[in-house]
Amino acid sequence: MPKDQSIGEALRARGISRRGFLKFCAATASLMALPPSMVPIIAQALERARRPSVIWLSFQECTGCTESLTRSHSPTVEGLIFDTISLDYHHTLQAASGAAAEAARAAAMQENWGNYILVVDGSIPVGDPGYSTIAGISNMDMLLETAAGAAAIVSVGSCAAFGGIPHANPNPTGALSVAAFIREYGNRTPNTFAADAAAQAAHTDISSKPIINVSGCPPIPVVITGVLAHFLTFGKIPDLDSLGRPLAFYGQSIHDRCYRRPFYDKGLFANTFDDEGAKKGWCLYKLGCKGPTTYNACATTKWNDGTSFPIQSGHPCLGCSEPDFWDGGGFYKAISTPTGDISRTAVYAIGAGAAAGVALGALNRAKRTRLQQTHSKVGIDDLDKGG
Amino acid sequence: MSASLERGIHAFKEQIDAPVAAFFSSCVRCGLCAEACLFFTETGDPVYTPIHKLEPLRRVWQQEYTFWGRTAKALGLSRPVTDAELNKWEPLVYDSCTLCGRCSMVCPVGNDITYMIRKMREGMAVAGHAPEGLVSATRRAVTTGSPMGVKYPALQAQIRNVEQETGLSIPVDVTGADYLLLLSSMEIMNFPEFIGAIAKIFRKAGVSWTLSSQSFEATNSGIQIGVSDIAAELVQRIVDAAAKLQVKSIISPECGHAYTAIRWEGPNLVGKPFDFKVVHILELLDELRAQGRIKLGSKETQKLTYHDPCQIARRGGVVKQPRNLLDMVAENFVEMPEAGTMNWCCGAGGGVGTNERAAELRLKVFRRKQSQLNAVKPDALVSACSNCRIHLEEGLEEYGMEIPVLSLTETIAAHLE
Repeated sequence: MPKDQSIGEALRARGISRRGFLKFCAATASLMALPPSMVPIIAQALERARRPSVIWLSFQECTGCTESLTRSHSPTVEGLIFDTISLDYHHTLQAASGAAAEAARAAAMQENWGNYILVVDGSIPVGDPGYSTIAGISNMDMLLETAAGAAAIVSVGSCAAFGGIPHANPNPTGALSVAAFIREYGNRTPNTFAADAAAQAAHTDISSKPIINVSGCPPIPVVITGVLAHFLTFGKIPDLDSLGRPLAFYGQSIHDRCYRRPFYDKGLFANTFDDEGAKKGWCLYKLGCKGPTTYNACATTKWNDGTSFPIQSGHPCLGCSEPDFWDGGGFYKAISTPTGDISRTAVYAIGAGAAAGVALGALNRAKRTRLQQTHSKVGIDDLDKGG
Repeated sequence: MSASLERGIHAFKEQIDAPVAAFFSSCVRCGLCAEACLFFTETGDPVYTPIHKLEPLRRVWQQEYTFWGRTAKALGLSRPVTDAELNKWEPLVYDSCTLCGRCSMVCPVGNDITYMIRKMREGMAVAGHAPEGLVSATRRAVTTGSPMGVKYPALQAQIRNVEQETGLSIPVDVTGADYLLLLSSMEIMNFPEFIGAIAKIFRKAGVSWTLSSQSFEATNSGIQIGVSDIAAELVQRIVDAAAKLQVKSIISPECGHAYTAIRWEGPNLVGKPFDFKVVHILELLDELRAQGRIKLGSKETQKLTYHDPCQIARRGGVVKQPRNLLDMVAENFVEMPEAGTMNWCCGAGGGVGTNERAAELRLKVFRRKQSQLNAVKPDALVSACSNCRIHLEEGLEEYGMEIPVLSLTETIAAHLE
């Protein structure tokens, strides 16, 4: 497939009709809460856009995010969009290996310097950079040098967005999310530079690179493609929430859009997985559902071609698109249950309180003893006020 | 040195001990103590809520002994206790509290409010805010040996009268006697029959006893006004007399606070355990009754009821003994409602009787006793405290009730065989 094909040409070459393409654009627009008048603009922009070069770096990850994108039963427009983008480097999907693979990355960077989209999945081990080394290059160095020429960085999956499972307590690799890594190490010059000397010379501080967090373990496929479509259409990153996630997809909580919400409002809960409440499809809050604190589009776009989502299949939401969801105290504990070791905390609190009490008591006792020592004996003549 | 606010605050700080700190921090401000206080129930004025009477002491505790209070004081955010404030509180602490202890009984968190009032008076007294009547009674107690100014010659005269009336000799200064009998000035001056009654009973029961010419006064104004140094001096006089006469026990007479002073506060005031036992006259009489040493020739046929003196029953624990004795002596004994440990105070204990300023108030709150008596309508009212007796008589007269007030000891003596 020629690299300079536009997306429209590429899609038509794959047998996607104009009608199918517009349907995708309309769906993308509505997903991103854009007005219908934006549909032709999206279509036009995508039609004309040169297939973007995408470099996909996989660090400490499980490939679940890639699986999420590629495991559709029938080819979808989203899938095809990915087929038609110029995915120049992706461990799992590329045929090349070793030096050839790294050469492909170097070439893509050189060719599209400043314009390619860098997708990262997985967290970056900074505690011991030896972990997850690829072709002799540490994840730190690879990210530093690849990010330098990127137009934007998309952190796909909760590991890249928030550190995810590698970052979970006790975090043996010192894993950091992409944003946290760039915040801390973004001004460093990478040790190894795969690109040519010119690129190295052009290496700049990457601290200000736009980063879009597409969290989820894994994220919903259409969210990934939607974000890419937005970037291609408007040439800028979408509106983000406080955690760097596109508001269009992460603006509402699972709880607020959950079809079981009326049961919550009525106080009808499943208490076990096989009780009457569970059979009747009542709210899973008491079984540990993290829906109220989780922001994602699962309840609206659903999974597997819109078939279902966890709560619909009777399982509480794990809160996978939220930071540190793995350390939330237990998937099956209700949100209202304290996450920490409450009894130990209580013991410490009592200990500290007792110590403070004893200290104040000692002070008070000393004070009272002093007062008693300065007591002057009271006689009958001391009871009248003088003068 | 004269009394001053500084001395008062110094005394407050000195008096605040662990129980006081625990009580103040435990108070949940429920107000149940108000309903237990006859000064509140009979006036309906919330200013008489017992815990409120302690407000200046509470503020001193908070400002001196609590973390936030000390912090606020250091930052100049707290209002210090002033002389004007203590002046305002004087009637609350002295005129409207008889130290009866009823509030301490009802407190749901177990605060001994009476204990705190007693301590608060220590500061009030040295701040110059003790009532005049109490100050002069205390002065007489210290200088003459009796709050009523009764000196030994007056007792001698009464002893001669009693000896003439009864034909019994009253032992004075008998070394090695088992019991040293103390008397209250009121008994000496108003109810000398008490001495005769004791002489009769003890002769029949074969009790070895004596009076002391050196120290015969049982009352202790230091306890009432709240000056431990003076209270200790007065207790010491008794301790010295007991040592001189080598008695085994001391008898506290029919007086409420005298029992508190010598039985409960005494050893703490003088700072060491007594070498003798202290018994209340009712305890001793009940013991004699149990041993079969009191034999009656007749019984009292009038309908009798018994007024429990607060310091003897509620604060002293002598509740069963008078009932045992009344069962022995009375054919028709009835209990007033709330008798025993929850009995209502006559209204004149804890120095209120000595405080002229409180005369009107103590008669007003006597209505509570009136309604208690109206519930059983007795022919005569028996008690075991001269101070109660004086005020009961006063109150009954004020409310036009013709009920004679009897001493339990005298009633028993009158029916000996």
